[in-house]
Amino acid sequence: MAYVATRGGEQAMRHAEQFFRTLNGPVDTACIRLIQRHMPYLIDRIMGEASLYAPELAALALVQTGGDLYEAVLLLRAYRSTQPRLAYAIPIESEQTLTVRRISAAFQDVPGGQMLGPTLDYSHRLLQTELLDPTQAPPPRVPMPEADTAAPRHYQPVTTWQRLNGLLDAAPEHPPCDPVDIPDVTRQPVTFPAPRAQRLQLLARADTGGLLTLGYAGMNGYGITHPTVNELCLAYADVYLRNPLTGTPFSAGRVRISQAEIVTPFRGGEAQLGLGFAATMGWNEVKVIAAAMLDLEMDGPDPHPAHQEAFVLTHTEAVEASGFCIHYKLPHYVTFQSNLDSLRRAQTQASHRVPATEQNE
Amino acid sequence: MRRRLLKAVALPGYQVPYASRELPIARGWGTGGLQVTLSLVGPCDCIKVIDQGADDSVNAANLRRFIARMTGVETTTDALQATLIQSRHRIPEERLREGQILVLQVPSPEPLLPVQPDLAKAREMHADADYALMWLSLYEQLVQYGTFTTGAEYPVLVHGRYLMSPSPIPRWDTPMLHQAAHVTLLAAGREKRLYAVPPYTDVYPLEFEDVHFRVESQQGRVCYQTGARHKLMNELPQPDGQVRYQLSDSGYATKLWQHQQGDTVTIGATYYDDAGNFYHRGYLKPDTDPA
Repeated sequence: MAYVATRGGEQAMRHAEQFFRTLNGPVDTACIRLIQRHMPYLIDRIMGEASLYAPELAALALVQTGGDLYEAVLLLRAYRSTQPRLAYAIPIESEQTLTVRRISAAFQDVPGGQMLGPTLDYSHRLLQTELLDPTQAPPPRVPMPEADTAAPRHYQPVTTWQRLNGLLDAAPEHPPCDPVDIPDVTRQPVTFPAPRAQRLQLLARADTGGLLTLGYAGMNGYGITHPTVNELCLAYADVYLRNPLTGTPFSAGRVRISQAEIVTPFRGGEAQLGLGFAATMGWNEVKVIAAAMLDLEMDGPDPHPAHQEAFVLTHTEAVEASGFCIHYKLPHYVTFQSNLDSLRRAQTQASHRVPATEQNE
Repeated sequence: MRRRLLKAVALPGYQVPYASRELPIARGWGTGGLQVTLSLVGPCDCIKVIDQGADDSVNAANLRRFIARMTGVETTTDALQATLIQSRHRIPEERLREGQILVLQVPSPEPLLPVQPDLAKAREMHADADYALMWLSLYEQLVQYGTFTTGAEYPVLVHGRYLMSPSPIPRWDTPMLHQAAHVTLLAAGREKRLYAVPPYTDVYPLEFEDVHFRVESQQGRVCYQTGARHKLMNELPQPDGQVRYQLSDSGYATKLWQHQQGDTVTIGATYYDDAGNFYHRGYLKPDTDPA
């Protein structure tokens, strides 16, 4: 009977978790370090979606969940929600970041230059199967040749030139504000239309795959944007804090960030370029390109239903979407029984009804 | 969280937005209810957690294990002993009393969602108490199928003002919210909304003057384990094409069974008596439609 089964259920749950861990093999510190060292882009993606810059914890989350990305993001977010907020970083301008990759598809060359930086964009996508052969010596490490002249550390944004030349509206003036006043999606519920700060936060922590799906639909004809990548940047950003005693700013560390700007002409009925923007923690180019494109699309006069703000921002929430999807595994037999009751009643009603044609005769 | 709960109690049926932090439980698995429970339990509390009426369902067991692990609170399967009951999709058959708290997990707090998917517009409709589209959809159900087709999660009007989703409880449980002695707190973690039905508040399902709301028929259903009738039953398909029935409320079933074994147990008064009459006489209207 039920009260015995209660204990049985708890034991079954413990065994189910044990089975999962046994199947996935033992986990140790070395394995976590290895993942952190060799899968930085995966770590970046998880940190971005979790809104928590902690490579070591992200690697741990990944190992602990056997590589289930949504579970790993949930672990990090749940951990994040227990952490106190110690300080607010000082805002920085994008030209203050230490940029290692900056490209613009809008012009052949831009002030500061096109800088490919680290990328697999122009690699040949051939599997290096020789790496699988344990008898072959590993390929020698080829040192990076030093450049004759060092690349710039900072770049003038492409939009600076475009604004000077009357192609883009002036950037809106932002009076200095207390960071405490910035609406924070992790502490305040979002209602739509969302403040710009919340929109950018939600895009920054959105599911990469979800943004890609909706963004791609827009690029593929279900939208009005032919996106031009005005600027794409991968950079290190210093996190500047103020010394609580002296007030002197200092860098508490560096985080990897990605930023993308998308432009398209004639948006909002104006003979101007429209500008979409997105940024995220970690290096994740496909995410920021899709997100910046959606940022622009959401502001359109009559966006496709799949590109309306509430639709995009609600449905690309990685933890909520994945959690709700898998909750359908839970028993629903009471609700189903209730539906069956209504269904059977409608069937009875139908069998009692006189068909319309007979009524007319 | 507690301030938001007070606001919810002060505005019966009104959806109060709240931060809804991420918890170590997946979203959509009861995180809203869990936040309410964790913000309310104290050292003297005794909690019961059920899912589909069952204490032994894995998700209920898991949430109970989590709450006990985090708070050290006592747990029970007896609805009478519990000071706080967290539930997914059911209200216990035994009448809850003053001072008890029922926390219902809510997957989708907006009752207008089927007729208005734009939540900003739905909010305006609530502000105007404009529920015409809901009445229209009820009417359309009647025209097309000859009966209301809503299964669980039947929309109710609270205190004559706000339309509310009672969470996906079966219609059998909907009347239990009306003029109840206990307080019901409803919370959606994913949608970040919570709302409440304070004690002794009017809760009426949407129905027409001539076509009435009706609960799931339990006519002729007998629990194969306890012999109980006129309580919500699970329908269990059998290999030979037949069916048998089992009480959905496992805590109540356990006590009936213990009583039949000669154990001393206290079984409380139930919302529906052994003839199937609801305890607020006249609340459920006699059947008037033709079937």
